[in-house]
Amino acid sequence: MTHCFIAADANKCIGCRTCEIACVMSHADDINISTQHFQPRLKVIKGMTITTPVTCKQCENAPCAQSCPTGAIVQKNNCLQVIQSRCIGCKTCVLACPFGAMTVVTTPLDAPETTSPNKQYQTQAIKCDLCSDHAQGPACVTVCPTQALRLVEPRSLTQLIQDKQQRTAHELLTTLTRYHSSE
Amino acid sequence: MKKVLTVCPYCASGCKINLVVNDNKIIAAEGANGLTNQGELCLKGYYGWDFLNDTKILTPRLTEPLIRRQRGGEFEAVSWDEAIDYVSQRLAQIKQNHGADAIMLTGSSRGPGNETNYLMQKFARAVIGTNNIDCCARVCHGPSVAALQQTLGNGAMSNSIADLEDTECILVFGYNAADSHPIVARRILKAKQKGAKIIVCDPRFIETARIADLWLPLKNGSNMALVNAFLNVLITDKLYNQHYVDSYTEGFADLNAIVSKYTPEYVEAITGLSAKLIREAAYMYASVSSATILWGMGVTQWGQSTDVIKGLSSMALLTGNLGRPAVGVGPVRGQNNVQGACDMGATPKDYPGYQKVADPKVRAKFAKAWGVESLPETAGCTITEVPHRILADQLKAYYIMGEDPLQTDPDLAGMRAALEKLDLLIVQDIFMTKTAAAADVILPATSWGEHEGIYTSADRGFQHFEKAIEPTGNVKVDWQIISLIASKMGYPMHYHNAQQIWDEMRQLCDLFKGATYAKMAKFGYIQWPCPTDEHNGTPYLYQGNRFDRPNGKGLLTCAEWIPPKETIDDQYPLVLCTVREVGHYSCRSMTGNCRPLQTLADEPGYVQINPADAQQLHIQDQSLVWVESRRGKVITRANVTPRANKGAVYMTYQWWIGACNELTLDHLDPVSRTPEYKHSAVRVSAITDQHWAEQEIDRQYHQLKQQLRELAHAV
Repeated sequence: MTHCFIAADANKCIGCRTCEIACVMSHADDINISTQHFQPRLKVIKGMTITTPVTCKQCENAPCAQSCPTGAIVQKNNCLQVIQSRCIGCKTCVLACPFGAMTVVTTPLDAPETTSPNKQYQTQAIKCDLCSDHAQGPACVTVCPTQALRLVEPRSLTQLIQDKQQRTAHELLTTLTRYHSSE
Repeated sequence: MKKVLTVCPYCASGCKINLVVNDNKIIAAEGANGLTNQGELCLKGYYGWDFLNDTKILTPRLTEPLIRRQRGGEFEAVSWDEAIDYVSQRLAQIKQNHGADAIMLTGSSRGPGNETNYLMQKFARAVIGTNNIDCCARVCHGPSVAALQQTLGNGAMSNSIADLEDTECILVFGYNAADSHPIVARRILKAKQKGAKIIVCDPRFIETARIADLWLPLKNGSNMALVNAFLNVLITDKLYNQHYVDSYTEGFADLNAIVSKYTPEYVEAITGLSAKLIREAAYMYASVSSATILWGMGVTQWGQSTDVIKGLSSMALLTGNLGRPAVGVGPVRGQNNVQGACDMGATPKDYPGYQKVADPKVRAKFAKAWGVESLPETAGCTITEVPHRILADQLKAYYIMGEDPLQTDPDLAGMRAALEKLDLLIVQDIFMTKTAAAADVILPATSWGEHEGIYTSADRGFQHFEKAIEPTGNVKVDWQIISLIASKMGYPMHYHNAQQIWDEMRQLCDLFKGATYAKMAKFGYIQWPCPTDEHNGTPYLYQGNRFDRPNGKGLLTCAEWIPPKETIDDQYPLVLCTVREVGHYSCRSMTGNCRPLQTLADEPGYVQINPADAQQLHIQDQSLVWVESRRGKVITRANVTPRANKGAVYMTYQWWIGACNELTLDHLDPVSRTPEYKHSAVRVSAITDQHWAEQEIDRQYHQLKQQLRELAHAV
């Protein structure tokens, strides 16, 4: 089956980063987030001539999942998600992902269970999960004030392909007509 | 759980928000279907309410009236009765000893609302007896008001935010909508999608430049030369609308006399732009049947700002782009109620509704309505003149409501020295700001969310905002505080609610007379002028091409280009221009106390610098650097980006450590008295010991926060 994914339209992005905050808030327990916990799963990148959120493509043959030695990245709810209890923080997925959509972060625990030094921190592989715990769908898509982000579902992908085929056929027809009329 | 309909307290796009409230706490914000925002919000709208929970991240809420009986002494928490007694008695004493004009007051362009601004200027004029009242419009769109009142008759946007998307060409001049007004940027995008041509005049490659058909990266400080060249092309190449000019304007010959020498070739050296590009832009603007000009601080914050705006309005007049839907001139106001503070007469020369202090008939009308014998006739002091007047011993008391000049005004060292010389500094605010910390008396007020009222958005739209939660501290609504002081000073002032104040104001202003609370409840959005009960507001001004000037004609005018005041040299070789941070607002007392926004951007902020300049100065991206001018020296972080032009650097103005206003120059436009924030000479240098610099920032930041926290909790 084909995964769903978030697509960004660079022509509509104004670089306001509302999506980044929405992403963090969607994965936070409450509003009391800190800089350390500010780990958006999509990132607004500004170059000289481009501004766009870089998002996870939810690849079908996902290098992150394939390279994970502990099988922590699995298919769930039409996308790829991390089972955090299996993550050992080896960062192989970070190296494998060609898009920069994987991050591994170590953050101090708010309420450490023990005083043991290696239990004071938690390591997590962070990637887009399409906010699948939320009924409203991906938070970034909901908040974007310019509708630069959208959720692409398998059926819309099929529609997109059909539209393009139609367009190609029409272009072909136009070319042929021009060719015949010039004869 | 309930939902409360309000208007965003940040930029002046006028976005409607539903606040989700549970147990007297706000838990979320949702976009509501307002006329300008159509259900959309930006990051400040979605995540800018957290400060109401007094998070104390940056600086704490003010919860008790405080008095500092000795300058430089400790704050003492007092009862409201005592605070009102003290303030009234000290103000009366200063008035008696030094005259009413020794007292300066401010309106507030932010949370309080129109009713409070009306009352504050009434207090200044009828009770204190001075026109010394101003607001921070002075440091942003004051020049737009001054210039457009002269050329067209009204100082506001002639058009509506909603119909921007239907214009065929948008000329964006010195205006970075994506950072200042994301919800207006959205309309520019929609215009583009509908086929509009976009022209951007800005030295930086701003977001709108990405979608622009033409980008004119003019040299910093060459605005007037470029506008004159546009006017020159419009006239020389006969691109203007002869019929429109003949029928509805005056001053063509004078305009032509000034701009005739400003050929595109003549301004090439001044602007750094090719004559071909300038011509192409003028042709593009003139070639469509509907065009709109938008401008922001890149036009207004200059020593020669009013002249440039007169030139831009002349472009609209020459081409007949006024008096219809989807055309016009748009100075897009920065703060949520800066339009409102001006509407309500919190300015030194105007009563509410832009009725002139200089007009004896107007003064007599207000004197009669307010029950006083006479009202002062000399124009008041502007906020930018305050430090000079204090140092000249003309001002003794300053009553600041909801503004933080020790963060937002130019040349902060100069401002600090001046405020120290005052006899009495009263600060009425919601947070312990840097200005509040220097006060003799602090009057704690309710915040947006804790009171109701009317705001005016950038396009003259009145909107009602509701109260969402009960305040927790021992605070009062701004207009109640003013009423108590006035009454104590012998001028009884009693109002039951904001609506009563609004209704008093309406009866005195033909421009707003029909804009009742009931009508706002029905339509949600009433754009002034709204003169009668039957009138439903005015989406665009100057219908029938009748301008609000004595003879009804629009004035064509502009001026010779004057170079910026402070030129760069070997010692200070770079131009510093101050700009906006999308996730923060004004002095940051509100947004800096919202966790998500604070997490996105925090001290010491950034200085944007071109890679070529950075390389020459051995500066790495993200490293800490010194920025230094003749007036100060601050640490900030380098953002090496090709979007900044070579030879100029850009800093946002709300940081405490990387405070660019320690560096800016106090040079004012002669007409509007607006400072030249956009052009100060600086040098940027690398810091070798980055570890020390990082620690130094932490230390300074911690110390400042600690100091403000301690001050706010004095007992």
